[in-house]
Amino acid sequence: MKSRILVLSLILTLLLATSSGVANPGGKGDSNRDYTCGGSCHGDPSLSSPSSAIIDVDIPSTVYSSTTAEVSVSISNLDTSDNGLVGIFLLGSKNGNSDHPEDYGWAIIQDPNGGSSNYIEAVSSDNQVTVSWVLLVPDDLGTKEIYVSIQHGSYYNHNNKAFIGETDAIVVNIEPIPENYPTLAEGWTSPEERISGDSSPITIRTVNTESLTVYWRLSGETSSHEATVDMVADQEWEVSLPATLGDTRIEYQIIASMDEFSNQMPWLSIGTSEPYFDGTSLGAKLQSVAFILIILGFMLSLQTWFAPRGVKKSIDHTTVVEESIVSKKTEESTSEPDSDYWSRLIKSDDNPGWLWDPVENEWVADPNLSGGEQ
Amino acid sequence: MYAVTFHHMVVGLAAGSGTLMGICAFLAWLASYISNLKSSKSTLDKASYAASILTLITLPLAMLSGYYSVSDPSGSAILYNKFIFSGIAIGFTLSYIIGRRRFGSDMWNHSALANIQMLSALFGLTAIMILGSIGSKITLGESTLDIFPFWPEFMNSIVINQWISLSLLLIGLTSVIFSFRIVDSSA
Repeated sequence: MKSRILVLSLILTLLLATSSGVANPGGKGDSNRDYTCGGSCHGDPSLSSPSSAIIDVDIPSTVYSSTTAEVSVSISNLDTSDNGLVGIFLLGSKNGNSDHPEDYGWAIIQDPNGGSSNYIEAVSSDNQVTVSWVLLVPDDLGTKEIYVSIQHGSYYNHNNKAFIGETDAIVVNIEPIPENYPTLAEGWTSPEERISGDSSPITIRTVNTESLTVYWRLSGETSSHEATVDMVADQEWEVSLPATLGDTRIEYQIIASMDEFSNQMPWLSIGTSEPYFDGTSLGAKLQSVAFILIILGFMLSLQTWFAPRGVKKSIDHTTVVEESIVSKKTEESTSEPDSDYWSRLIKSDDNPGWLWDPVENEWVADPNLSGGEQ
Repeated sequence: MYAVTFHHMVVGLAAGSGTLMGICAFLAWLASYISNLKSSKSTLDKASYAASILTLITLPLAMLSGYYSVSDPSGSAILYNKFIFSGIAIGFTLSYIIGRRRFGSDMWNHSALANIQMLSALFGLTAIMILGSIGSKITLGESTLDIFPFWPEFMNSIVINQWISLSLLLIGLTSVIFSFRIVDSSA
């Protein structure tokens, strides 16, 4: 009986210890996910509601196999939570498993945030958001379907529900690629980011391409510039894009040409990341103090080295006062040796206020000019 | 939040006093060679001395407020460089003040000492200018000093091992103590 009570108490305690909560109100980050994260909490009808958002998807209805295609997603009439976060899925199906476009032959060359995920999170502005994926079209011919789904919170969301929106199937007709049509090599993806200040070239791999032209522009700019492209191997090109600093994104567009074909691909982008730095706060403080002391020690040594013996500390005048008292008392008795000493000192026009002692080979402050004054 | 505001204020004071220190010290040094400046020599010396003391007070305050103005004060090379150049600026400013205290205004009449003092003040000012340039790079992304073709790249920094820093610190401390003892014994 006792043990039963103990077990029941334990179960009750564990049940009470669980906290109610909402599913990741701060987002989960970009990653590869199935529809409604594989039917997890957001898939539960008691935990979700339909979103009021309007989703528009723009993708060419007919594309060539193994070429690039841009999927542009515009979401409007969004009612998000105060952080404005929206999760957007690009899907090949809505089964709850194996929904990734790659499961249907598509390859993501770049997602809207510069990575290669089918689920990304974006921050809405004025209740709307526009993003785009760049995909490599499957080899299989025929029709393929693409879906877009969104999830977000709401400002007035007392039940902590997730708001789900989704599109119907968008049918894309895939036609055979013309012979010798220039395009990107299968498996090539755009670099997500470069280290700040890095101007090393990026490598692009293509197929059926005899010449490659690349234009670049900074994010937000309208005018573009042509980049330098070098062919380093068969169907392998090195493109020199200028280095970027801070959180700048650089966008580039590839135009692959072969005979009469010219394949102008969608704009891709590369972010900028801070270089890896292994400095520590303690190290910075220690190094700073070390520099203070090294400089101080060096400059004081120089001062000591170059200071003439006649120049004394200006603050402590004790010895000066003591010497003047003693000198007054013994003025008469010691006048002869003093006069000998002072008479041998030579005045110098180059060093006014100082006298040269040829016996001791040193400079002495001229007492008539009160220690060096002119 | 207040650290950022305070940092802006104290950085302005440090830059202003550092500039006054550097320019006045340079003119005081120049007064030994240009007769028109001789009458202002004492004033320039005093102005430079007072400005150097204010610089020495404001620089550590700028470091402290800067430290609390960012989430990771040593997380990047550019911020790490601010520590290093703050140390250099304080080192030269302190050298200038100690030199001025030890030898008084008479030092300007001795060419070697005057040269050392003038260089201390100018190097201190240069370090403060670099600090300002780094600050501008962080906040605005560019600096007026970018016009120089030889301006160093502050996106990188020289990170010394902590034990080597500690050794340098001890070497510096020892040399400071010895320098003081030699000056004391010679005076």
